Amino acid sequence: MNGPIRRIAGFLFIAFGLLLLNVTYIQAIATSKYRDNPLNPRVAASISGKERGLIITADGTVVARSIADPDDPSRFTREYPEGSVYAPIVGYSSLLFGDEGLERVYADDLRSRRDLTLSDVINALMGRDLRPKSLELTIDNDLQQTAFDAMGDNTGAVVAIDPTTGAVLAMVSTPSYDPEVMLAPNATELRNALLDDPEEPLANRAVSRTYPPGSTFKVLVASSAVENGIAGPTTTFDDPLEFPLPGSTSTIRNYDRGPCGDGTTVTLSEAFRKSCNTIFATLGLQVGAQSLYDTAVSFSFDEPMRFDLPTQQSFFPDPSDLDGPALAQSSIGERDVRATPLGMALVAAAIANDGNLMQPYLVSRIVDATGETVSQVTPEIRTTAVSAATATIISQMMEEVVASGTGTRATVPNVRVAGKTGTSDASSGSPAVWFIGFAPVDDPTIAIAVVVLNGGEDATGGSVAAPIAGQILGHWLQP
Amino acid sequence: MNRDAEAALLVGATVIASLGVGLVNLAQGGTFDAQVALTFFVFAAAFGALHVALRRWAPAASPYLLPLGSVLAAIGFVEVYRIDPHFAGLQRWWLLIAAGLATLLLALFRNTGVAPLRRYRYMFLAAAVGLLMLPMLPTSWGFPVRGVIVNGSRLWTTFTLGPLRLNFQPGEIAKLALVVFLASYLAERQPALAESRKIGKVTVPEPRHLIPVAIASIAAFGLLVSQRDLGASLLLFAVFVTMLYAATERTAYLAVGSSMFLAGTAAAAFTFSHVARRFEAWLRPFADPADTGYQILQSLFALGSGSLSGSGLGVGTPDRIPAAWTDFIFSAVGEELGLAGSVAVIAMYALLVAVGVGIALRSRDLFRKLLAFGLAFTLGLQSFLIIAGVTRLLPLTGITLPFMSYGGSSLVANFLILALLARISHEERT
Repeated sequence: MNGPIRRIAGFLFIAFGLLLLNVTYIQAIATSKYRDNPLNPRVAASISGKERGLIITADGTVVARSIADPDDPSRFTREYPEGSVYAPIVGYSSLLFGDEGLERVYADDLRSRRDLTLSDVINALMGRDLRPKSLELTIDNDLQQTAFDAMGDNTGAVVAIDPTTGAVLAMVSTPSYDPEVMLAPNATELRNALLDDPEEPLANRAVSRTYPPGSTFKVLVASSAVENGIAGPTTTFDDPLEFPLPGSTSTIRNYDRGPCGDGTTVTLSEAFRKSCNTIFATLGLQVGAQSLYDTAVSFSFDEPMRFDLPTQQSFFPDPSDLDGPALAQSSIGERDVRATPLGMALVAAAIANDGNLMQPYLVSRIVDATGETVSQVTPEIRTTAVSAATATIISQMMEEVVASGTGTRATVPNVRVAGKTGTSDASSGSPAVWFIGFAPVDDPTIAIAVVVLNGGEDATGGSVAAPIAGQILGHWLQP
Repeated sequence: MNRDAEAALLVGATVIASLGVGLVNLAQGGTFDAQVALTFFVFAAAFGALHVALRRWAPAASPYLLPLGSVLAAIGFVEVYRIDPHFAGLQRWWLLIAAGLATLLLALFRNTGVAPLRRYRYMFLAAAVGLLMLPMLPTSWGFPVRGVIVNGSRLWTTFTLGPLRLNFQPGEIAKLALVVFLASYLAERQPALAESRKIGKVTVPEPRHLIPVAIASIAAFGLLVSQRDLGASLLLFAVFVTMLYAATERTAYLAVGSSMFLAGTAAAAFTFSHVARRFEAWLRPFADPADTGYQILQSLFALGSGSLSGSGLGVGTPDRIPAAWTDFIFSAVGEELGLAGSVAVIAMYALLVAVGVGIALRSRDLFRKLLAFGLAFTLGLQSFLIIAGVTRLLPLTGITLPFMSYGGSSLVANFLILALLARISHEERT
């Protein structure tokens, strides 16, 4: 009777073999069918996870927090009370998609360390505090909300900086998204819709995109000319109708297709106020590729930008790539010149701060669970872009732009505002239109860059970006 | 492998149980506490006692049985603790009681071997039938022993004595009694049952010997009807048919038996909504995910979420699976220990079956051979049925996973199986 016993045992072993195949199928092959099924309560719970620290603004507004699950106090749901206003900065934390924004960069501080990794166990046994830490931002919530509202339906970005410290006071990128969609039961579907959106709502345009700076780049050309003793505000230039590009039949013209002044001669100051391309093309050639490049670098172009969020570099071409026509076009912020809104805000901030460009930062303090400060940022000078004397001269010219030039719509009553507009050359569609500036001129507390990308074919920095900047500056200076 | 190696492996299982409890504590924000020490001592006491009993009273017993049982019990215990520490506290008592009873059994048989079981076979039959009838007692009446309905099935009995209230599944013990009876009965009647008659060119068993098969089929069907659960009746009937087949080597018993059972099951699926729902959930779990398919889907979600390496002990959410501490313990282990854990558990059950079948194959005495085979088969089939149920290989049935599920009756029955197998293997080597 050992025969039947062997046969029955054989059947049992085949049955166990089927079990092995079946669990392998479920747990190794068709895993995602079950793991990521919307009916799986873990998908909803993946939203919730371990506790993470708070993220609060400089004035104490909570922009990210963890709420304990009433059924299971060891699980937490992440909430973003200010939603899309802060999404480009704060990002989100999702078990499905990983972390983004500050949630990603500061994940090690924000997350609870009670994760059962070997080092966590050792730390726990040594009595270290494993609770999550909190971030305090430099953002002023009022200003952030104002900037977000001022942008309205525009596509673009706003960066406001305290020029004396480098603290970012506001950073807006529109259109934005609600970070809580990443935690919704149908998050995959909603996220795919955001990824497919041609408006790129998931991008932080303030730091991760570069645009042609247009005439705002004239601030750097003028700075370079003054710093190198090539021209001053009262230096006069011939005022032609157009500037012929060397060795080419094309020309550079002014925005209104006319001469800059009366067609005879014009001062640098007037050319800056009216943003005359003809004069700045001439000036760029006088300054020379190497000097202009050096000035751009001193304003943090072509340099890796250390910042709390992943940031693109602003770009100015290598002098060896700049022949005459290229240099002339680059001098009006066209051709291959590209800048991030953060980069242009730093340019304005450097002029505002006597030529000292401060290292920008977004997180001012990291605080542990007991409220003790773990680390705190001390403002530091990143580069000296120009001398204080040069900065003063450029500042005066920028003040005239707002007082009676292209930037009058950025005016704030009873406040001296300095600025520069910019409108990139768009062969089709909307140009990138800019306003960069700072205020009050005698003791600046805010420097700003506004860029709008969908103002329409006729949009200019003066007509579209300057009013937005004026609104934001007005709110900051006249609360 | 010898007794020393066995002792070392039992220490390993004890460490797995207590360290597992510690890990669960850590994962949930706690630390190593008294639970860890308590678990260590209970496992050490339970398996230490069994080990010493084997050394004293069955020194030639197979050294593979206890380590396999203890590791399965350790993994199951940690997962029960992770799901509900209250149940784990009770489970520790049940471990001590089950190990105590198994030790007692080894002591009782130290001189006589398992032979006395053979003599009292009708007592075991009566016990089996009586135990199986217990859940059919009224759910509320004056007598302190009452039936209980759990998830629509009548598998449970409750015993109330003052404030003490004890729930148990008599079917777990009944299957043991039935195996003992069958081994004894078949060993006695084997020559007669193996008789055959030629009808034309086909050799069939003596028709009168088919009568017990018919009775058993009807009894199993009656059980299925009354308890409204496929698991217990399928298990008992399959044990009966395979033991009959093993004793007589007549394939006809298998064929007739399984076709009768299949017909009965099909009839039940059409007649009883409770059985029909189990089939519906098996075939189309997503058709009604909130109701019919809920249990099996929660199990599959847990397993899928566990993926290859699992969430880690105490880090997953197996508490979302209904009855995760009993019938669905495998899914809970699969979520927290992943495919690695699932495969290890299934492999250990297969090894346990292999050890049991090996003992049966080596047995020289017919009764012991059939008993060892019946016990190993019961253990193997029960493990297979419930794991297949929670992984949607077969329709779900309400039976426990030996050694791992929470439950006193299940632990006691399976520890007794281990003790009996150990005793039988000892007798073959002396």
